[in-house]
Amino acid sequence: MAGLQEYKCPCCGGAIAFDSTAQKMKCPYCDSEFEMEALASYDNELKNQQEDQMDWELSDNAQWQDGEANGLKTYVCESCGGEMIADENTAATSCPFCGNPVVVMGQFSGALKPDYVIPFKLDKKAAKEALHRHYGGKRFLPKVFQDQNHIDEVKGVYVPFWLFNADAAVNARFKTTRIQTWSDSDYYYTKTSYYAVTRGGSIGFERVPVDGSSKMADDLMESIEPFDFSEAVDFQTAYLAGYLADKYDVDAAQSMERANERIKKSAEQNFRQTVQGYASVIPEAMSVQLQNGKAKYALYPVWLLNTTWEGKQYTFAMNGQTGKMVGDLPLDKGAYRKWLFGLWAAASAVVFGISYLLWML
Amino acid sequence: MKKRIAAFFLIIFLCFTVSAAAYAQEESNIDSGNGLRLADMADLLQESEEKALLALLDEMSERQQLDIVVVTANTLNGKTPMEYADDFYDYNDYGFGAQKDGVLLLVSMEDRDWWISTTGYGITAFTDAGITYIGEQFLPALGDGDYADAFTTFAQLCDKFITQAKTGEPYDKGSFPKEPFSFGANACIALVVGGFFAVITTTAMKGSLKSVRFHPTAADYVRSGSMQVTDAKELFLYTHIDRIKRQKESSSQGGGSTTHTSSSGMNHGGGGGKF
Repeated sequence: MAGLQEYKCPCCGGAIAFDSTAQKMKCPYCDSEFEMEALASYDNELKNQQEDQMDWELSDNAQWQDGEANGLKTYVCESCGGEMIADENTAATSCPFCGNPVVVMGQFSGALKPDYVIPFKLDKKAAKEALHRHYGGKRFLPKVFQDQNHIDEVKGVYVPFWLFNADAAVNARFKTTRIQTWSDSDYYYTKTSYYAVTRGGSIGFERVPVDGSSKMADDLMESIEPFDFSEAVDFQTAYLAGYLADKYDVDAAQSMERANERIKKSAEQNFRQTVQGYASVIPEAMSVQLQNGKAKYALYPVWLLNTTWEGKQYTFAMNGQTGKMVGDLPLDKGAYRKWLFGLWAAASAVVFGISYLLWML
Repeated sequence: MKKRIAAFFLIIFLCFTVSAAAYAQEESNIDSGNGLRLADMADLLQESEEKALLALLDEMSERQQLDIVVVTANTLNGKTPMEYADDFYDYNDYGFGAQKDGVLLLVSMEDRDWWISTTGYGITAFTDAGITYIGEQFLPALGDGDYADAFTTFAQLCDKFITQAKTGEPYDKGSFPKEPFSFGANACIALVVGGFFAVITTTAMKGSLKSVRFHPTAADYVRSGSMQVTDAKELFLYTHIDRIKRQKESSSQGGGSTTHTSSSGMNHGGGGGKF
C-alpha cells in the first residue's frame, strides 16, 4: 500500500514544509531553507527508502481493509508512529498527533501524476486578513457574525484541476439593421435597412480549468478564478508538504462537458462582438465545432476557511496565488428592512423636496 | 268713410299690438337676473352656497370696479351659449362705467355648455387664452357637479386676472399663474421614485454578500491572437421606410382677445365649451 512521505530537514531532521513567502522549502525548527531543485533529488532518494519499509506497513493496512471502512485508508506517521486515517483521495495532510506535514506517496504516481502545480504564494495569515477584508463594507452582514468571527478551520488545499485546450471553429449568421432618419416639411422618415451578416473563423482556448475534485463545490472554485498559469511549475511532491492535497476523483471526460460549455459561450460572444456598426444585431444561427486537445492535470492552491454560524456552515475560498476571496455571507434581515424603509423615506423626501423647488421656480 | 277710418285704426291697432306682442316676446326671451350678480335659474346651488357666492362676487366686483357675474340656466331659449350670455349681460345692464366693464360666466344645463362673456375692460383682462385657462381650472369641479366649488374657483381666478391686468400686463399665453402645488400627486410620485431607489440600492447592497457564482464564459482563457475571422460577409436584404406626420407647430404669437358684436350692438369677448 501507499506509504507516507515526510520531508526531513537534512540539517536537523525536523519535518519541513513549503514556505509560500520564500517560495522554498523551509525548516520550521532550524530556519534552514532549501531550493526546490535540491529537494527534488532528495525526494527521489527518499522514495527509494520508502519502498524498503513497505512490508510492515502493508500488514498493518490489511486489517483495516478487511473491515468496514472501504473509502478510508490508514497510514502510520513516520515521525511519531501515530496511526492516521484519511480519505482515499487524500494526497497530502498533516499528522494529527505530531502535526508534521506528510505527503501520501502513490497518489501522484503513474497516470495520476499531475503535470503542473502552482505553488502557494499567500500564507494562512494572508487568508485570515483577506477574510476580514471580505467582511468589510457590507452593511447587511450581521454584526454578530462579524464580531464572533471565529474561523473553525483554515486549510491550504491543492485542488486538482483539469486544464482543457480547445480550438473552436465558429460559423454564425446575424440579422442586423441600420437606421437612417431625415425629415421634410410634412413628415419624419425612418429608413431601416436589413442585412444578413455572416461570420466564420476560429478561436483557441488554453487551459480552461475545471475542478476535478467532487469535494470542492464547482461554483466556489470557478469564483476564485483566474489563476495565473505563467507561475505554474512542473509537479514535485515537495510542494505539497505543509498543505492538504487531494487527487482528482472526477475524470477528464466528465469534466470536459463544463469546459466545452464555457468555451462555446465565449466563442459565440467573441464572434458576436465582431459585428459592429449596426443599430441592432440579432443572432440567427450559431454553430461551434470544438476540437479538444489533451487535457492536463494540475494542482492549484486554494485556502479554504470554514465558519459555523447559527447552525449553518459558511465556506470561504481564497485563491492561494492571487488572493481573490469569495464566499457567500448571511443577510441581516433587520438591517435590510431598516435600510430599505430608511432609504425609501429619505429618497422620497428628497424627491418631494426637489419637486417643490421645481414648482417654486 | 267711417268704415275706412275704422279699418285704418284697426290696422294701426293691430300693427301696434303685434309689434308690441313681438316686442314683449323678445323681452321675455331675455331672462332677468333681478340685478343680482348671481342668477341661479337652474337652481344648482343651495341657499347657503348662493349667499356665500353672491357675497364673494359683490365684494370682488365692487373692489375691482368690474362686474363678476355667474348665471346658470336650464334652457338657452334656442340661442347659442355666446348669444345668451351676451344678451343676458347687455339686457340686465351689468357692467361698470361707460365701457360696461364686466365678465359673466354662463352655465347651461340644456346641453351642458359653459361660456364666459367679457365686456369693456373685461376684454382686456381676460384674453382668449386666459378664458381657456380659467375654463381648465374650474372644469373638473363643474364636471363633477361641484358647482359651488367651480364658481368660487372662477370668481377667485377673475379677481387674480383683473389684479394682474391692472399692472398693465394681463395674463396671456405663456404667462399664466402657477397651478397650486399638488401635494398628493407629488407625494405619490416621490414615494414611487423613492421606493424604486431604495429597492435598487438595497438589492445592490444585498448582492455584495453573494460572491460565489459560476463563470459562464471562458473569456480569461482565450489564447492571445488565436481569434481569426476568415469569412465576413454582409448581404443586404431589404429596406423599410416609416414616416410620421410632422406636428404643425401652432403659431406661438397670438394671445390677446378676439371680439364680436352682440345683438344689442355691444362689443364682447368670450369663450367656452362643454362640461
